[in-house]
Amino acid sequence: MTATARLPSPALRRPRTVLVGTLFASATAAMVYFGVLALYVSRRAEARLLGIEWFPEGVVELGPSGWIFWTLIMSSFTVQWAVQAIRNEDRPNAYVALGLTMLFGAAVFNQMWFILNDTGFALDASEAQFLFFVLNGTFITFLILAMAFLFLTALRAMFGQYSPRQNDGVPAAAMFWHTVAAMYWVTWIAVYVTK
Amino acid sequence: MTMTESPPSEAAESTEPVAATPGAGLYDALTTSDHKAIGRIWLRLGLLLLLGVAVLGVLVALEGTSADGADVFGGVNAVWQMQGLYSVGLVLLVVPALTIGLATIVVPMQVGSSNIAFPRAAAAAAWGFVVGVAIMVVSVLAGGGWGALDGVSGGEADAIELTLLGMGMVAASILLACICLATTVVSLRTPGMGLMKTPLFAWSILVSASVWILTLPVLIANLIIIVVDLRGGPLLFGNPEGTTMIFDQVHWVLEQPAVFVLGIPVLGIIGSIVPVVAGARHIAHAGLMAAIGVAGLLAVGGWSQPAFSDQRDELLFVAFGLLAVVPVLASLALNSLTLAKAGPQVGLPPAQLLGALGAGLLLLLGTGAGALRVIGPFDLIGTGADAGVVHLVAYAAVVGLAAGMWFWASKIGGYALPNAAGLGVMLDFIGAAVLMGAAHVLIGFDFASGLNDAMAWVVFVGAILAVLGAVGVVSSVASAKRSGDEPGDDPWHGHTLEWATVTPVPAGNFVGALARVTSEAPLLDVAEQADSDEGGAS
Repeated sequence: MTATARLPSPALRRPRTVLVGTLFASATAAMVYFGVLALYVSRRAEARLLGIEWFPEGVVELGPSGWIFWTLIMSSFTVQWAVQAIRNEDRPNAYVALGLTMLFGAAVFNQMWFILNDTGFALDASEAQFLFFVLNGTFITFLILAMAFLFLTALRAMFGQYSPRQNDGVPAAAMFWHTVAAMYWVTWIAVYVTK
Repeated sequence: MTMTESPPSEAAESTEPVAATPGAGLYDALTTSDHKAIGRIWLRLGLLLLLGVAVLGVLVALEGTSADGADVFGGVNAVWQMQGLYSVGLVLLVVPALTIGLATIVVPMQVGSSNIAFPRAAAAAAWGFVVGVAIMVVSVLAGGGWGALDGVSGGEADAIELTLLGMGMVAASILLACICLATTVVSLRTPGMGLMKTPLFAWSILVSASVWILTLPVLIANLIIIVVDLRGGPLLFGNPEGTTMIFDQVHWVLEQPAVFVLGIPVLGIIGSIVPVVAGARHIAHAGLMAAIGVAGLLAVGGWSQPAFSDQRDELLFVAFGLLAVVPVLASLALNSLTLAKAGPQVGLPPAQLLGALGAGLLLLLGTGAGALRVIGPFDLIGTGADAGVVHLVAYAAVVGLAAGMWFWASKIGGYALPNAAGLGVMLDFIGAAVLMGAAHVLIGFDFASGLNDAMAWVVFVGAILAVLGAVGVVSSVASAKRSGDEPGDDPWHGHTLEWATVTPVPAGNFVGALARVTSEAPLLDVAEQADSDEGGAS
């Protein structure tokens, strides 16, 4: 009857399977990590109640961990830049953004390694040092996984996959990256700021 | 009135099946990406585990019957390890394997999808589970387990680490399968099927998968810390040579509230069977979805681990325990009202209905026992009541899943399971659950030592019934496969999309495109439309 009847029917909505699957996978990863963090925090609270010193004064410094915090904030912007670029079919920008995000990831890995060495902690020295190692080791594992996910996504993009209509892989990789970044932001406050 | 724009059954009949379901050879099983074949791997393993765990349950119960110790296993460590294996086997192996198996087969069809999301990941989950179970069982038999009571040798300490690795693999495999299933329900629903129009079984699987996704990673976190601690840490969780602390740190996953997740799919199965029996749509589909959702919220359990001080005295733990009864009661009430309103129709054999309602009542008993357990003055935590709740809830799940297997048998394997055997199986499992659950709760109350001894024998009888039930399921499936009877595409006049496809279900599930769905019971819409057309024509 009306003009709308002559319009082409809307394109079928593509199921966003990869994005939804990554959402659940990110929740899983977050729960593993926060499971470790919760144990860390509860054991620390218990130690404080008993009057036991958790870390020796001045060993765990705020400076190096703060650099990781800010680097991860920058990486969250760059990974979102990649998402927007691929949606706009702007591949050069997408490659630059993905490359920068991975570079930030490598910088975070390097800084984490520095912190673990700088503290001079040993795995079997005390409960605090043991849990500090496990927590950071778990974070590094997820960081490596997030970087691998980004790398595979970048490779697929370079080989011509993803388009403005079909770009689930990049937002999915970005979502996992944000999750890993959020893990650290919470850790920074719970472990480094409130020692 | 809601209806589909054109009958899915007509769409299904419009073309010939694309291809048959892959065969049953080992190569096919290892390389398949068809959700039905993957689901059958889970189901076969689940049935095998059910049989094994039921037999182990008899031995554990026999051990408990003698005041002096019947010495079935030959040593205090072995008894403790076998009790651990039995609990873990029932809660983390049997019920998840059967649930995931049934869901992997039914859910994609129910939401109108051609396959499960990430089929290769789903296959990897199934095989990862097989390997995890093998590692766990072998390591426990080698003297591993979750610590020891009176000291272990170096080799047994290694076996303990292997047990933890196997447990981690099992948890990771369940999680991977959950991600595939949840993604299927969220993103692969057929056009028109909004989330509120999702069939109840698919919805219950989305809820239970989400609960597992929130709970099992916390178990994995525990396992990571324990294994690193044993490998080179300060032995935070104790020296494996003479400690039970490892089990203390992980047993929260076998207790309420975490164990209630096993009952959530039961609510979905009841909700799928009852309207078909009634021949009418649910009086409150949204209410049932809400009840299942609330049951899920109350089954999230990672927070209740003993490492976070003893949460079990705190208000949240008590509130979760008391409130868990409410959604089960609401779900049963709404299903009963649907049945009462329409009146049961002839056509569906009673085994499914008995199983569904029996599972619901067992779940009510289980959550009720859980509510008693958290009431401080009863002082039931850490007593036999723990095992009572676990048995009632886990066997409620087994009964519900057995009812689901009888209901969806034609879509699972292209056969019809015998009704008489089904009745026997349901009664066996219901009897087993009531005897073992009630006896353990009474032991928890510790009225008198003479009564406790008698109750131990009741548990033993219940365990034997469980074995009979397990044998009944396995023999029913075997005889149904041999009989070659063809059940037809839609033997019960089902309401949801899995009944719109042919039997045996072809690869891709649906031949031709499905019509747009406009309600949670699209095939009932079609039947009602046909009745209405006939009425108009006459």
